[in-house]
Amino acid sequence: MTLFRLAWKNVVGSAFRSWVVYLCVLLVTGLLFTSVLLIGGTRDSLRLIQQRLGADVVVVPEGTEAGVESALLMGRPVKAWMPRENEDKIAHVPGVREVSPQLYLASLANAPCCTAEMLVMAFDPQTDFTLTPWLRQHLGHGLSAGEAIGGSDVFVPYGEEHLRIYGSEIDLVGSLERTGTGLDTALFLTFETAYQVAEHSRTEAIRPLEIPPESISAALVRIEPEADPRVIALQISHEVTKVTAIPASGLFQTFRRQIDGLLRSMLTLLGAASALSLAIVGLVFSMAVNERRREIGVVRALGATQGEVLRTLLAEALMLALGGGASGILLAALVLYLFRDLIVVSLAMPFLFPALPLLVALVGGGLVAGLAGVGLAVLFPVVRASRLDPAVAMREQ
Amino acid sequence: MTARTAARIPAVAIAILAIVIGVMPLFFNCQYDGKTLVLANGREVPMKCYWTARAALAVAVPLLAVGLLMAFSRRAETLRALGILGAILGVMAILLPTLLIGVCQHAGASCSLVMKPTLVLAGILAIGVSLAGVAVSGRREEQTP
Repeated sequence: MTLFRLAWKNVVGSAFRSWVVYLCVLLVTGLLFTSVLLIGGTRDSLRLIQQRLGADVVVVPEGTEAGVESALLMGRPVKAWMPRENEDKIAHVPGVREVSPQLYLASLANAPCCTAEMLVMAFDPQTDFTLTPWLRQHLGHGLSAGEAIGGSDVFVPYGEEHLRIYGSEIDLVGSLERTGTGLDTALFLTFETAYQVAEHSRTEAIRPLEIPPESISAALVRIEPEADPRVIALQISHEVTKVTAIPASGLFQTFRRQIDGLLRSMLTLLGAASALSLAIVGLVFSMAVNERRREIGVVRALGATQGEVLRTLLAEALMLALGGGASGILLAALVLYLFRDLIVVSLAMPFLFPALPLLVALVGGGLVAGLAGVGLAVLFPVVRASRLDPAVAMREQ
Repeated sequence: MTARTAARIPAVAIAILAIVIGVMPLFFNCQYDGKTLVLANGREVPMKCYWTARAALAVAVPLLAVGLLMAFSRRAETLRALGILGAILGVMAILLPTLLIGVCQHAGASCSLVMKPTLVLAGILAIGVSLAGVAVSGRREEQTP
C-alpha cells in the first residue's frame, strides 16, 4: 500500500475529523480569498477609471468634488455647473497642455421619454482626449450628432432600434469595456447632441433637460510632461475662482479611505477567524492522533519508521488542506463573480473581477497559504505521534 | 460517521438548494418589484424574469423530491440514479436564467442582480452535491458484501 493510499484510507475512515478540518480550511481560505479579491478588485476599478479619464488634473465647481466623484464611481447624477470661460482661464495657467470640458447630465427615471435612468456625459470632440482616441481606434471615426457610446451595461431595449433620451432617439454606436464603476451605466455623447436633446426635450419630454447657457460641469486637464500635477492643481485653484482642482492621484480619496478602513476591518476579522480555525484544526488532529496511539504503535511495531508515520500523518492533513482550500477558493471566486454587480450596488463601491493571470496567481497563493497554515497547525501533534515508543503505545488501553 | 449518515448529507443539501431555487426567484423578479412591460395597446404583460421564476419552481419541486428520496433510499443503484437526476436538474436551473428564458437586460434589476446569480450558483452546487451523492453511493456499493 502506498503512502498516499494509506493516508486516503485514514481520511475516509475518520469522517468526522476529516469534515472538521476540511470545513475549517474552507472557511479560512474562502475568507482570505474573498478579502484579497474584494480589496484588489476595488483598487483595480479605481485605477481603471483614472486611466479612462486620462487627465492629470480634474477641475470641478467648488463644493461639488464629492458629487462628481460619486457620479464617476457610482453613476449617480450630479448638478455641477461653472462658467465655460473657466476653460480659457485654465488653459492659460503655465504648465497646462490641454483642457477639455464635460457636461454631466442625467436622464429621467420611469419616464416614457427616457429608456432608463443613466448618467449622461457630454464631451467636446474638438478638445476631448478621453474618448476620442478610443472612438478613432474602435469605430474609425468620432461621434456624429445623434450618436452615442455607452458603458458596458448600457443597451438598446429589446425590440427597439434607438435609445430614447428626453424624447430624442439616440443611436448607440459602441460600448466601452467594463470598469466596475458608474461609468458602466453612463452614456457618452457630444456637446452638439446634448444641446439638440435639450432643445428637443422642451416639446417631447415630460420634463425638459436644462443645461445652463455657457456652462460646463468639469474640465479635464493634461499638463506638460515635466510639470507636477499637484503644483498645477494649486495654481488653477489660485487663478480661477470658485473651482476645485484635483490632481489625478488625489481623486476618490474618500473612497480610498473607506477601502483602507474596510481592509483593516477585514484583516482583523480574517486574523481572528484564521487563528481560531487553525487552532481547531490543531486540536482536532491532536485528539485524533491521541485516539490512534495504539494503531500508530502497531504500525511502528510492524516496521514503519518514524519518518514514514510522520509523512503519512502529514499527507492526511495536507490532503484535507488541499481539498478544503480548493473548495473554499472556488466557492469564494464563484460567489464574487456571480454577485459582482450586487456587490457594487449594495456596498456602493466600485469592483472589478480580476483578469485571469492575476486570478490564477491569487488561487495559487490561497492554496499555498491554506497548506502552510494547516501544515503548521498539525506539525506539533504529528511530530509527537511519530516519536511514540511502539511498546508503550501498544500497552495503552 | 456511518455510510448512511454520509449519504444523507448530499440529500439534505439538495433539499435546501431546491428550496432556494424555488423560493428566491419568486421574490427577486421585476413583476414582484411592480415593473411590467407596457405594450403599444396599453396592456401590461410580465417581463421574462417572471417566467424564469415560474419555471424555476418547476425545477425546484422535482429537485426537492430527489433530495427527499435520497434521504430515505438504501440501494446504491437508486442513490446513483437520483444523483444523476439531481445533476440534470442543477443544469436546468443554470440554463433557465442564462439560455432558455433569461432575465431582464437592465443590470440594476433585481432579477439580474440576485435571481440569475442565485439560480446559477444553486445549480452549480446542486450538480456538485448530486455527483458527490453518486460517489457516496459507489462507496457504499464497494462496502456491501
